[in-house]
Amino acid sequence: MFESQRATTPRVPVEERLFSLVLALLASEQGLTKSEILSTVQGYRQKFVRGGDNTSLERQFERDKDDVRELGIPLETVEPPGETGNNQLLRYRIPKGEYDLPAEVVFSPAEIAVLSLAGAVWREGSMSDESQRALHKLRSLGVESSDPLIGYAPRLRTRESAFGPLNSAMDRRLEVSFDYLKPGAEHARRRRVAPLALVQHEGRWHVHGIDRDAEAPRTFLLSRILGAVVTTRRSFTEDNAGCAERALADLRALYEGQCALLEVRANTEAERRLVTRALERAEVPLRVHYTDVNVFADELAGYGPEVRVIEPAALRDAVIERLRRTLANHGPQERAAREETR
Amino acid sequence: MTKSTTRTGAGLQGRDRLAFLLVLVPYLIEHEQVSVADAAEHFGVNESLIRESVTLIAVSGVPGETSAYQHEDLFDIDWDLFEQRDQIVLTRLVVIDDSPRFSAREAAALIAGLQYLSALPGSSDDEVIGSLMSKLAIGASGRPTEVAVAASPATAALVPVRDALAQRRELSFDYLSADGRTEHRTVDPLRVESLDRDWYLRGWCHLRQAVRTFRLDRMSRVEIGENQAQHGADDLSVPSDFFQPSASDLTVTVDIDTAALPMIAEFFTADSQVREEGGRSLVNLRLGHVHGFKRVVASLGGLAEVTDPGTAREEVAAWASEALAGYGL
Repeated sequence: MFESQRATTPRVPVEERLFSLVLALLASEQGLTKSEILSTVQGYRQKFVRGGDNTSLERQFERDKDDVRELGIPLETVEPPGETGNNQLLRYRIPKGEYDLPAEVVFSPAEIAVLSLAGAVWREGSMSDESQRALHKLRSLGVESSDPLIGYAPRLRTRESAFGPLNSAMDRRLEVSFDYLKPGAEHARRRRVAPLALVQHEGRWHVHGIDRDAEAPRTFLLSRILGAVVTTRRSFTEDNAGCAERALADLRALYEGQCALLEVRANTEAERRLVTRALERAEVPLRVHYTDVNVFADELAGYGPEVRVIEPAALRDAVIERLRRTLANHGPQERAAREETR
Repeated sequence: MTKSTTRTGAGLQGRDRLAFLLVLVPYLIEHEQVSVADAAEHFGVNESLIRESVTLIAVSGVPGETSAYQHEDLFDIDWDLFEQRDQIVLTRLVVIDDSPRFSAREAAALIAGLQYLSALPGSSDDEVIGSLMSKLAIGASGRPTEVAVAASPATAALVPVRDALAQRRELSFDYLSADGRTEHRTVDPLRVESLDRDWYLRGWCHLRQAVRTFRLDRMSRVEIGENQAQHGADDLSVPSDFFQPSASDLTVTVDIDTAALPMIAEFFTADSQVREEGGRSLVNLRLGHVHGFKRVVASLGGLAEVTDPGTAREEVAAWASEALAGYGL
């Protein structure tokens, strides 16, 4: 199986090739050149043609390199001194010190239990995959978790399909583009954005970034991104350290700066939802903060007659406008007119 | 692991498997001898994944000085113990002797999860959470990605509900149902779950003699009873979906701008059908009751129209019309 020359090339599974690549690069202190990798590492060497055309094998290696880096493995490229620009002499390596979990990072059984609960928070999607892998790494330390409370399951959703691509683009520092239906608008518009942070505020996911058309910071609701997020090849250079905390602080300031006065019917869905967020639970009418007038108007319109906006006027008008559109859509005349045109 | 491998293409499968090989090795080093069953339980994966991974590790290694993958350049295991007794013992190690660091995104996923937990009543204190966050940052191969979750106010009922679950006691409360009536309920708590800002209790309802889901912000006068709960999560299975389809569900057809489909995606069920026609889409959705659905349609502010059945259309129209009457319109 390990002879380098064979009449028939055995098919080496992807994970075996990737595992062999990581082991080879970890073992080599000065690094390996691409041609050394392709000619000697298990999974490549079987397909390597000495002195021939290895273009597709090289592409395979490029993809594998990306896969390895996606897992957070520090696969480095080293240029030999005095030989800058010569791709053939580039060396690849994984420095052991950057790969190993630092010795001072240790976790107690109680800490493992808390982290397991934190990892289980993600119900689906890329965050769930990421935390699953992180929990496997934690478990590889061999520390048993102390007993968690069975049946206690705090969960966060990242249902929006935009979340995964945005998180990945942010990590790879690549700009994205997407169609965005701004709250209150009727038509979507294409946006080009350098994604700097993903934050959840008031139960909604937002991406904060630089809008390339406006060249200014903007925050978008993920639920209003329509269609697919396209990851471009354009990288961005903005430093985003601390961006998530700042974006949350901005949203919090917006939230605290706006307050609605609402008349809410007792013992209704609207009351139960709004009371938790009210400044004073027992007050009549209720005072409730909000972040965006259009997003809040959507929510309030959903409560129908259970809530009436006293002020501000802009929120009141926005709710009335939505209710009118809904009524117009569902009136008997509207139905008849549609039937005729179909 | 198994979940993500089945979901996507071969590339991700290979990558996920690589990630698992890299954590299995240090675990096996830590345990001089471990059974396949114990390893599978520890990682929460199938035994077959453990066996396949161990078999692969045992024949893997580095090219070595001769570039020929000689015997001494490869991992090895005690094959007799493995094949005859399903026990794993690594007998030779290559290169790897430690757990890998977290990736920037993995660390970020755990940190954001901790942020969410830290806002909940009765969670670990801030000091523990803060120390864990810095350990994760130190243990990551890059600066954790910028993902953050804001604290949001938790509903008052969470503390007694969680305590009743922990003490395995009955819980009683007044419950406001979706149609506006309030009923007194006694429940054996099985699971306490949140979804973003909303908290739910799933429990054995003494009144209905069945497993039911209750939203915590619809509870009032919550009390932990004297009696031990008769049922627990270990003797009653709790379905993983909050809402089970039932025969009394209503199927409605919604006409919506195709571009706005993602906004109602959360109401899709497995049997939802989408028909596209000239930039609009017709979608069939199964809903527990029309009381909930009229709210969804009204909150979409005119982007969607219920086309069928007529009674559902009338409900939505009446809902909007009654609301407008409140404004004297």
